[in-house]
Amino acid sequence: QATTLKISHQFPGGTLEEGDFRDRLCRMFAAEVQKRSNGSLKFEIYPGSSLMKTNAQFSSMRKGALDLSLVPLSYAGGEVPEVNIGLMPGLVPSYEVGAAWKNAEVGKELNKLLLDKGIVVVSWIWQAGGVASRTKAVVDPDDVKGMKIRGGSREVDLVLKAAGAAVVSLPSNEIYAAMQTGAMEAAMTSSTSLISFRLEEVSKFLTSGRGQSYWYMFEPLMMSKTIFDKLTKDQQNTIMTVGAELEAFAIKAAKQDDIAVATVYEKKGAKVVDLNAATVKKWQAIARTTAWKDYADKNENCAKLLKLAEKLL
Amino acid sequence: MSPLTLGVLYGIVTLIVMFSGMPIAFALGVVATGFMYFFMPAASLDTITQNVYEEMASITLLSIPLFILKGAAIGKSPAGRDLYSAIHAWLHKVPGGLGIANVFACAMFAAMAGSSPATCSAIGSAGIPEMRRRGYSPGFAAGIIAAGGTLGILLPPSITMILYAVAAEQSLGRLFLAGIGPGILLVILFSGYAVYRARREYAVAYQAYQQGGVKSAYLEEEHFTLAQKVEMLPRVLPFVILLIGVMVALYGGYATPSETAGLGALLAMVLIAIVYGVWRPKDISPFITSTIKESTMLLFIIGMSLLYSYVMSYLHISQSAAQWVVDLHLSKWMLLTVILLMVVVFGFFLPPVSIILMMCPIILPPLKVAGFDLIWFGVVMTIVMEMGLIHPPVGLNIFVIKNIAPDIPLKDIVWGVMPFLLLMLVAVILLCVFPHIATAFPDALMGAK
Amino acid sequence: MSHGFEIASPKGPPVPDHPFVARLAKGLEWINKTIVRISMFAMLLTAFILTYSVVTRYLFKIPTDWQDEASVFMLIGVTFFSAAYVQSYRGHIGIEVLSSILPPAINRFRLLLVDIISAAFCLFFSWKSWTLFHEAWVDGQTTSSTFAPPLWIPYAMMAAGVTLLSLQIVVQVLAAITAKRRAA
Ligand code: NA
Ligand code: NA
Repeated sequence: QATTLKISHQFPGGTLEEGDFRDRLCRMFAAEVQKRSNGSLKFEIYPGSSLMKTNAQFSSMRKGALDLSLVPLSYAGGEVPEVNIGLMPGLVPSYEVGAAWKNAEVGKELNKLLLDKGIVVVSWIWQAGGVASRTKAVVDPDDVKGMKIRGGSREVDLVLKAAGAAVVSLPSNEIYAAMQTGAMEAAMTSSTSLISFRLEEVSKFLTSGRGQSYWYMFEPLMMSKTIFDKLTKDQQNTIMTVGAELEAFAIKAAKQDDIAVATVYEKKGAKVVDLNAATVKKWQAIARTTAWKDYADKNENCAKLLKLAEKLL
Repeated sequence: MSPLTLGVLYGIVTLIVMFSGMPIAFALGVVATGFMYFFMPAASLDTITQNVYEEMASITLLSIPLFILKGAAIGKSPAGRDLYSAIHAWLHKVPGGLGIANVFACAMFAAMAGSSPATCSAIGSAGIPEMRRRGYSPGFAAGIIAAGGTLGILLPPSITMILYAVAAEQSLGRLFLAGIGPGILLVILFSGYAVYRARREYAVAYQAYQQGGVKSAYLEEEHFTLAQKVEMLPRVLPFVILLIGVMVALYGGYATPSETAGLGALLAMVLIAIVYGVWRPKDISPFITSTIKESTMLLFIIGMSLLYSYVMSYLHISQSAAQWVVDLHLSKWMLLTVILLMVVVFGFFLPPVSIILMMCPIILPPLKVAGFDLIWFGVVMTIVMEMGLIHPPVGLNIFVIKNIAPDIPLKDIVWGVMPFLLLMLVAVILLCVFPHIATAFPDALMGAK
Repeated sequence: MSHGFEIASPKGPPVPDHPFVARLAKGLEWINKTIVRISMFAMLLTAFILTYSVVTRYLFKIPTDWQDEASVFMLIGVTFFSAAYVQSYRGHIGIEVLSSILPPAINRFRLLLVDIISAAFCLFFSWKSWTLFHEAWVDGQTTSSTFAPPLWIPYAMMAAGVTLLSLQIVVQVLAAITAKRRAA
């Protein structure tokens, strides 16, 4: 009797070979685990929030109503404040630092915390992001002064506000239209989303995340602990092994997207700018006194996680 | 049980519960939780309230009450009647001008209100008695208002388009703009028919009079001096201000669609306060109360439909049904025809809001695969749902007319709307042949997609 | 469906025959009326907040990050709290084709059954809403936005609103059961 597990995510659906790499990763994971478990584990993938709302995924997993999900961890920041560390500007300055988390103290601590909340991290995935803008290139913090910009998360918004931006909040399906009409001048988001939102059509500048960035988002493949515990030891091992193996693919694909996004925007005639170590430091300096501090003040766990993460800098 | 068998069972149970007369919102919730209990892990039941909340806590959806408020403010104040008389004064010389005036007034009102029955009732309460007084046959008068009223969900703002934009993940601003071209097309078709029919009725009345019969009101002359006409103009001004103000805010980059909803509602209230002195709590409370009633009812359906579609998705019913449709390998246009026929059948019984919520998860994926532009389809689907509003057995606009003019027999109303149903079908076909009717406007204003 | 207009505007919900049930119904009516008054204010306030958001962003380039969420909370409150009021007028629409086909006795039974099932569902929903509220309260959950207001607020409004709605349906069921037979 095969167990069928459901994987939900918010990204566009595709195939094993083509499409959004986060959807591809889920499909690769499903195919590989099914093979290695000799068909004792099967998967159904629900792309594009076709099963449930993005924000409902995390808590559904905790309750055992959803099996797996690939979702930006910080989305659950309202429910479990500690996970806001998954999108902390400047805290992760490169894919290498992100990758080091898993086996470093900060990763172990985060893992423990999530297990405690009923979540098993199956695959550690980081992704860089950038800024699409229609008025001017956003490199230095000074550039966003007075700019109507969408940060997309509390921590990013705090930094942008401190830098003098007029932060705008609006639902993601309105980003394109808002950029078009000028209701919003710039948006900060992941490289893959910068492409899938088709913002290149309405942007004149792109701050790319290739090489250097202060914007790295943790979007792991996660599993409900309740469901995980019901599986056999072998099945659990298979899941964790395949999850770990796919991390290399994730880094490669994410980096490819960082480059692809630049190409896409250049083709549309947008000016592409890159960040250097000095500019990243400037953003980091603002984040330290705003977002980081705000986070550490939340509770002891947060303070501890932040301290451990800073060790990797 | 295979997903398709389960799907059939789900459909049958839904039909039974809905036809039992249970309110649609509760029926959706009862069917969904019932199936959750029998076919899904127990933990699912613990997540229903959060799922419903997540669905409803969207500023896009919650702009619906504000759009309704804006329409109610205009519709319940003398503004609707004034708009109608001004247009009438200017158009009455044109043969069939009274019919055109009614269509125009409906369109103007539709461009401010989000729903069709609201449009119908606001213009119809002045328009139907006037048309009948002028000799129009009752069925014809009812038909014009019923059909003109449907423009309410085609011309922006539109409640059903809001839901569609959320379900199809399309830009609401773009979808709103896409409704304008087809809206104008329908205004032209309706007006053209109104002229034709009025002339024919006039001819019949004239002949009857010549042969010594009674003199129909059709044959009476009506006259407005230029001064009278000019004097009426300022009454349209508030509408124009409201219309342009909201459009500029939205497409000029000043406001998001949801902010526009708030802005529009407030602007409408300010306008009726200044122009008509409608501002005291006892003046405004009736239409705010009716807004609350309607939006609560709608949002409950919307919230519960989330549970309904969640169960459909979890049990793989939506996906299997969509796959089944894809596997039929219908040609692109055959697929569209089949889907639109389904919309028509659903439209026999359900209001547009429920049709969108229940059908979108199933029909959108195959349409996407077939390469249809989902903005364009949203407009086509809206027109087809408009047809549902004026055809029996459950046609909301017909009920509204019945309420405004209880003495017109239902049979006359139904025959009166038939020609307009045909014209809407013509509009759908024209849209299929010339998709630019819908897409040209958003492309021009917001850049090609 | 009422759409910004009313097909018939009744003075108030029908008064039950049984004196105790009638008192219950009167009590609920008073609560509902009060709630609608507050809701009216909340709705106007929402329209004002959203307008304010547009104006300040353009004139003063001030970040507008709390307006959307404040509006959401307000309208969630209006929706859930008004549900009982709408139910008291039977304003939640359904497909009423059977009522004209079935004989009156069976029709009465059908309506009663529909109400009992609706009440059961709403009670279940309010129970689950209160649990959700409790979780959010204990864990100190907030929304994940910048503004980050506590989630127990909307959850509590949802739970209280649906509880009130359940009560309203229960009273309607009681009224139907205790109703005196009227000559047809
Ligand atoms: Na409209
Ligand atoms: Na119908």
